[in-house]
Parts: sequence; structure tokens; C-alpha cells
Amino acid sequence: MIALYRRFEAVIIGTASFLAIAVVWQYAVDAGHIDPFFVSTPLAVAGEAMAEAADGTLLVNLLATLHAFSLALGLGAVAGIGLGMLAGWFPDVEAALDPFIWFKYSAPTIAFYPIFIAYLGYGLPTVVTVGFLFALTPIYANTLAGIRAVDRDLLRVALSFGARPLDVFVRVALPGSVPMLVAGFRLGVGRALTGVVVAELFGSTAGLGYSISQNAQLMRTTPMMVSIVAIVLIGVVLTQALSFVERWTDAWRVDAE
Amino acid sequence: MSLSLDKPERLLRRGAGPGARLRWPFRRSTTISLLSVLVFLALWQMVPALGLMNVRYTSQPSEVATAFVEMLGEAPFYGHAWVSLREFVLGFALALALAVPCGVALGTSRYVRLVVDPPLMALYIAPPLVLLPILTIWLGIDMASKVAVVFLGAFFPVAVNTAAGMREADPRLVRAARSFGAGRLAVFSRVLVPGALPSILMGVRLAVGRGVLSVVVAELFVARAGIGHLLHVYGSALRMDRLLVCALVVSAFGYGLTQVVRRLEERVAIWRADS
Repeated sequence: MIALYRRFEAVIIGTASFLAIAVVWQYAVDAGHIDPFFVSTPLAVAGEAMAEAADGTLLVNLLATLHAFSLALGLGAVAGIGLGMLAGWFPDVEAALDPFIWFKYSAPTIAFYPIFIAYLGYGLPTVVTVGFLFALTPIYANTLAGIRAVDRDLLRVALSFGARPLDVFVRVALPGSVPMLVAGFRLGVGRALTGVVVAELFGSTAGLGYSISQNAQLMRTTPMMVSIVAIVLIGVVLTQALSFVERWTDAWRVDAE
Repeated sequence: MSLSLDKPERLLRRGAGPGARLRWPFRRSTTISLLSVLVFLALWQMVPALGLMNVRYTSQPSEVATAFVEMLGEAPFYGHAWVSLREFVLGFALALALAVPCGVALGTSRYVRLVVDPPLMALYIAPPLVLLPILTIWLGIDMASKVAVVFLGAFFPVAVNTAAGMREADPRLVRAARSFGAGRLAVFSRVLVPGALPSILMGVRLAVGRGVLSVVVAELFVARAGIGHLLHVYGSALRMDRLLVCALVVSAFGYGLTQVVRRLEERVAIWRADS
């Protein structure tokens, strides 16, 4: 029994911590310390989530957000990994891209959303573009660093055994950069989710972010909380899944060495 | 992961020794960067002239430059910038003041970590900006809600990285300090804090980016003043030249502050290598 507790201590205490927050929240409202208009209550949120799940609104918004998210992340990964590889291998390409990446790094992408809306209209294309731009930088930067950080001893061995640059790239640099690449992808997941949700707050007609900003205008706290909790859950599930993938790719590395 | 301007020695870099044939004052990479920016600006200037795109949507570098000079002469612009700056500084200072102690508690006490880590991580992973609409309902459309959003954006990276820095303290150093009779406080202030400093600064650097984004997004969402508000006004009026000026000012601010923190990080790294 105690051994079982030891093993799952983190899970048990973590769950208890979330439950405690919910209980305190519910109690604070029930006892009249806080007006439910502002914070709703866990029970009301759960009830609303059930109702939204039953009439399909939750599913529609969830799917709209996930659709935009997967497109944004997919495009960001293709462009980020592609450009990152080119820039990591050819210093000239990196020099040419560097000023734009720097600008992208420090500019609040969302500031340009009026331009995207002017071009692409309200809805999916705008949301995907913003999510894509959010995801691009960390994926690009990590791919570049991964290719650049190729083990010099391995490189020298490969070259002295007569490897051509292409061989070195495919056989040495690429496999060596996998962990950095996965780490960049994990950062990209978080950034793409932020981008998609923020873009939905401003310039969309569907999705969880849209439902938050819509309900905010009507001052309906409970449905807002449902969407917020849904977004938090998406983030947690995706990050957990990716840290699993990361451990898996790392395990391969340890075995190989 | 971080981008760095001064790159380490390149692999496969072809002859770029000092005193190369050309008497060109810049390094090869700097030249290429300059060229690529110039080509981009030239294309941008020409595309509307060639009729490929509507100048109303894209504006032009020359227009943006004119708008920049115009706006520098306008008093309201400084007023808006001042509002945004105050919101950012307040939220950021609050976040630092609370996040560092919180990170210390998380990093040094196992039970605090077990209890607080799951909700903290859930909020760290989720974009704090989803709380923006509800914070607006709680705190109104003026400064308070922006300060709160900046606070949330900046708090989590600093707290999480402080905790990580505390946990990664070298156990040999801790043991050595203990054997020489250091108390808990001495171990903390002489070993743990200096050891965690690079990690804390990395959190601060991440927080700068998130904080700047938070101010702008919060003001875009609903505000009566601030750079984000200006972005909204110019965006609705399709004044792309002025919109781009605002975006550039914000970028320059974020870039400058990130560089300052990076310098600090480098200084700390040098000090560590010396000792």
C-alpha cells in the first residue's frame, strides 16, 4: 500500500492539488465571498461542459481549433525544418535569412493581424497563418542549432573515410540533430497553440478562442471557462505526448552510443 | 534554444581569413545579410509599382519611412507608447518579484513541488492570453487588466526556470559547503543562488518576449490607449504604413531589452568560468 503510494505520489498529490483548487473555488462562491458572475463555479462549468458536449458546440469548436492547429504546426514544421537544414548546412543561407528571423523573433506577430485579415479575411486562413508564424521560429532555430552542433569527431571520421558532403549531411548531421529537432517541435507545439488561439480571439468565426471572445462580449463567464479549460487540456495532453516522444528519441541515442 | 548573432566557427567555411583579396569592410555573412535585406526592401518597394499587389494592403518602405518621421513629431504617439511602457514595466516587475521566490520554493522543497507543479505547468503550457477576456471582465479595460496579462505571461517562464536552476545545483558543491560548516542559509545564498543565476536570467529573457507580446495583444483586444490600441486603430483604417511603424517600434523595444538580458547572461557566464 505504502509502496503503491510512493510510486504514484506525484500523480496522487497532483490530482489532490487540482481537487483542492476546485473545492476552494466552489466554496468561495457558495459562501458568498466571490460573485459567481466573475468566476463561475466548478460545478457550473462542468454542467455547461456537459450541455455543450451534448449539443455539439464543444466538439465543433474543438475540431475547428485542432484543424487550424494541425495545419499551422504542419506548415511550420515543414518550412522550419527545411529552412533550418539549409541554413544549418550553408552559412550563406543562414546569413541571408538571419535578419528576417531576428525581426520575426522580436516582433509581436499578432500586431500584423489586420494585414492578414485584409488579405485572407476572417477565418481559417488568417488563423493558420498566425499559428504558422508563431511555430516557425523555434522549429527553425532548433533545427539549425542541431545541424550546426554535429559532433566534430564523427565529422572528421566520416571525412577521412572519404564521405562526400552529402553523405556527411545524411549520415552524420541529420541523425545527430534529431533530439534538437524534436525539442524544437515541442516548443513549436506550444507556440502554434498560442498563435491559433490568439488569432481565434481576434479574427475568426469558429474555434475555442472565438467562443471565448464571443462569450466575453456577452459577459457569460461559465462558457468562457469551459473553453479555457479545454485549451489548457489540449496543451497538457500534447506536451505530455511529445515529452514521451522525446524520451523515446533520446533512448535511441543512448543505445546507439 | 537561442539565436545568437556571433556564431561559433563554421563548418565547411570557405576561405575568409583576415586580409582577403577584397577590401570590403564587412564579413561575408554581414554582407549577405545586408544584401538580402536590401533585396527584400527593393522588391517590397517595386511590387505595388508593377501592379502585382495593392499598395493599400502592403504599403511601401518609402511610405513607412515617411510615416515614421511624421509620427515622431506627434505628441499622442509618445502618450500611447508611455501607457504601454508603464503597463509592461509594472506587470514585469510584479512577475519578477513574485516568480523568483516562488521558483526558489519550488526548486528547494519537494512537497511544494509536488503540490504546486501540476497546476503551474498546466498554466505554463496553456497560453496565458486565453485568460485575457476573463481578466478584462474582472479588471476592466484600462491598465489593470494589461498589467495582469503581462504578469501572467512573464511569471511562468521565470518561476519554472528558477526552480530548474535550483534543482540543478551541483550536489558536490552543496556537500562541500556543508562539510565546511555552512548552514542552510549560507548554502542557499552562496551556492544555490549563484548557481541558479544563469537559469533565472534565461527565464527573464523568455519572459521579455512573452511580456511584450502580452501587452500588445491585450491592448489590441480592448483598450483606450497604448501602442496596441494604435495598432488596432490603424489596422481598422488600413493605414498600413503607420501600423508597420508601431509594429517596428514594439519589435525594436523587445529586441533591445532581450539584448540587455543577453549581455547580463554573458557577464554571469564569464564570472562563472573565472571562479
